[in-house]
Amino acid sequence: MNPSSTLLLHPLTWVTWLVVAITAITLTRNPFYLLTLLLLLALVAEVERPLGQMRPLDPILFAAFTMAIGGVFNLLTVHYGDTVIFHLPANWPLLGGPLTMEALVFGMTNGLVIGALIAAFGAFGAAMPVGALLRLVPRAFYPLAVVVAIAVTYVPLTLRHARQIREAQQLRGLQFRTWRDSLPLLLPLLIGGLERALQLAEALAARGFAADQVPKRLRLLLVAGLACLFAGLLLRIVWGYALLGAGIMVAGGLLAFMSLRAAGRRSRRSHYRHYTWGRNDALVLAGATLTFAALLLPWSGSGSLFYTPYPTLHVPAFEPLMALLLLGLLAPLLTRSGVR
Amino acid sequence: MITIEQLTYRYPDHAAPCLDDVSLAITPGSFTLMMGPSGSGKSTLLRCLNGLVPHFSGGEIAGSVRVLGEDALSAGPRVMSRHVGMVFQSPEAQFVLDRVEDEIAFALEHVGLPRSEMRLRVEEVLDLLDLAPLRDRELRTLSGGERQRVAIAAALALRPTILALDEPTSQLDPQSAEDVLQALVRLNSDLGLTVVLVEHRVERVLPFVDQVVVLDAAGHVRSGPPRTILPDVSLCPPVVEVARAYGWSPLPLSVKEARRFALGITPTPKPAVSAAPPQRGEPYLRITDLEAGYETKMILNNLSLNLWPGEIVVLMGRNGVGKSTLLRCIVGLLHPRRGNIWINGQNNKGRSVAAISRELACLPQEPDSLLFADSVAEELRVTLRNHGQPEREQVHELLSQLGLDQVATRYPRDLSVGQRQRVALGAITVTQPGGLLLDEPTRGLDYAAKAGLASLLRQWRNQGAAILLVTHDVEFSATVADRVLVLGRGGLVADGSPQSVLANSPLFAPQVARIFPGSGWLTVEDAVAWKG
Repeated sequence: MNPSSTLLLHPLTWVTWLVVAITAITLTRNPFYLLTLLLLLALVAEVERPLGQMRPLDPILFAAFTMAIGGVFNLLTVHYGDTVIFHLPANWPLLGGPLTMEALVFGMTNGLVIGALIAAFGAFGAAMPVGALLRLVPRAFYPLAVVVAIAVTYVPLTLRHARQIREAQQLRGLQFRTWRDSLPLLLPLLIGGLERALQLAEALAARGFAADQVPKRLRLLLVAGLACLFAGLLLRIVWGYALLGAGIMVAGGLLAFMSLRAAGRRSRRSHYRHYTWGRNDALVLAGATLTFAALLLPWSGSGSLFYTPYPTLHVPAFEPLMALLLLGLLAPLLTRSGVR
Repeated sequence: MITIEQLTYRYPDHAAPCLDDVSLAITPGSFTLMMGPSGSGKSTLLRCLNGLVPHFSGGEIAGSVRVLGEDALSAGPRVMSRHVGMVFQSPEAQFVLDRVEDEIAFALEHVGLPRSEMRLRVEEVLDLLDLAPLRDRELRTLSGGERQRVAIAAALALRPTILALDEPTSQLDPQSAEDVLQALVRLNSDLGLTVVLVEHRVERVLPFVDQVVVLDAAGHVRSGPPRTILPDVSLCPPVVEVARAYGWSPLPLSVKEARRFALGITPTPKPAVSAAPPQRGEPYLRITDLEAGYETKMILNNLSLNLWPGEIVVLMGRNGVGKSTLLRCIVGLLHPRRGNIWINGQNNKGRSVAAISRELACLPQEPDSLLFADSVAEELRVTLRNHGQPEREQVHELLSQLGLDQVATRYPRDLSVGQRQRVALGAITVTQPGGLLLDEPTRGLDYAAKAGLASLLRQWRNQGAAILLVTHDVEFSATVADRVLVLGRGGLVADGSPQSVLANSPLFAPQVARIFPGSGWLTVEDAVAWKG
């Protein structure tokens, strides 16, 4: 765990790291590489987790869960593949037919992808303070970003309240048998959430927070831009005027962008923290670049990224150099070890 | 500095005004305490200072509120935030970001201050509130008191001239509350910051207060120096009540001041009541050699205790020592690692939480977590349905006993804090259990609500209920306890009568025991009875 809770990397470095991690997870279906990614991302999440903070979700356990669910669902619903485990009666709707090993492996691989994605976001969330994320958002979208920041901050609070409510309802004899039994949990959670939202709105108002007054002219321009985008889309898709539609869409997009930019410039917002680029950033970006290059450049090992168990199950190819290059995503650990 | 003239305010959809023809003035650099029963309009009046009322709440308003020359009612909170910093009850409900330093800087970023200025202001408030060592910490890892100090720091970063606080300690344990109040006193006396505080725990701040504003249930206000106003206020801290009973003048506001008068009195020491509980057969709750904890951390070690029918036992101890953990073990929410718990002669092992709570009800710290039904009466019926018990007359009888029969059809969350707590008590005791556990039941209650709760618990005790109460509230403990237990690291370090445990304790002695040391008196009633 991270004992200092300080941000050792530029927020954009973390964003780049996350983009590369997501690219790696979504590009490959090779279970060996996915497992490698899951383990290394879970390790980064664990190291970046601030001291004393509960792990919101164990990525390894979650991946085991999604693999089990994905595998069973695919096994029962996709009746394709050569290695038949057994047959269910053909007259069973959806489930009937051969259950194959290939479907099971394919479903589990997809579950592994979801688990690895959760691990990547877990590491990113543990490392990045909400304030750093907020400061990355362009000024024009600041109010929206504050809403998102509040939502992120409220997740752990809501989870804690949910546990409190569950225990309190147990104390009055509630036992969970059907979906109706969840109402005593959901209603206080919802009402309590609304009450807290009102309290927060009041606290924000008391601290002088209010959306900036955008001039009517700019608001009209934004509406006009969005209308052009929609009209262009209709022209292209519904009426088949591809070129005209594209032109109107580009004009609308430009109009919307310019009006948002102008609105953002009127904002007085300033930034408390000044993030600088340092050697740690170079190290992490170099690691991420290596991984990115290994994924996207054509070389002899890149073929091993692609794998499908259909039609006949076979062992996926494994390129040691590819696995080694994926370890570039472990670079944030080097910066932490340097701090200690 | 603050001038309120003929202020009348009515909330939307309310027939009666919440504030009725209020006029008062607050001088610069003063410490003003607003007090009064729940629902008397203290928070509403406070929100008028920065224009949250009526800009945020709506409603009809008449009169004027001038703060530093600005008309707060027309300027609104955005303008007034430059002059009035505001801190609310729950620290969690006012944070936007997740780390201490970021949260303090948030409002400064919003107004677009240059970075150098922001850094200066953040450093200032970190030092003022002793938060510098916590600056990089995540807010969720802080204690309640630390979080409330962060909220104050965030409000002060904008350098307001006035700090308005709405019951900032009501959700905190006594030590955290003490830290917060001490911080306020320091800000007021060292920096000359004008502090306007709405607070129920007035005993701690009274010695530092320059002006008291007392609101009554009809929305009327009296204000002035505490020694002028408090003699006529019905529910006051014990030190003031004792002083009024003995006719001490000028009215002492602290234990130290009261002791000067008490020196002339030689009280007859009250004989200590036997610590032996009313042992009649088997204890209702019996715990032997209990060991419990979370993950690798052991909290309770080799703990044994008994609770007999017809007694109120108060369990005290510092934060984190395992009081709530013990309650969780008793009701089956946490499985002990070792030891046994018997309720009414039956071992808890293998029993469900529902089965246990039918015999030993437990009121959690947050009574609102229990409430979700459309009406007060329905809350009680839900519990009966959960336990598969038929409804006879018990709902009606219990509501009457709780003093809730007049609000039986009301929506529970619309009621006052004290009433909501009684609804929650009804919801867990409608099955007529033989025992009751309560976790910090006086949090957020005013003096009247506490007195009501004490009376109810005594009534149930007299009917034979076994009651175990976990609380930090020493004044309340002195009022209701038949026996006091103190939990230390791992196990019990004291078990005896309230006189033997509380009277001479530097940590747990109530105000009356401090005013009359060695007397064995704990409550205002003890002191008044001697005077006869």
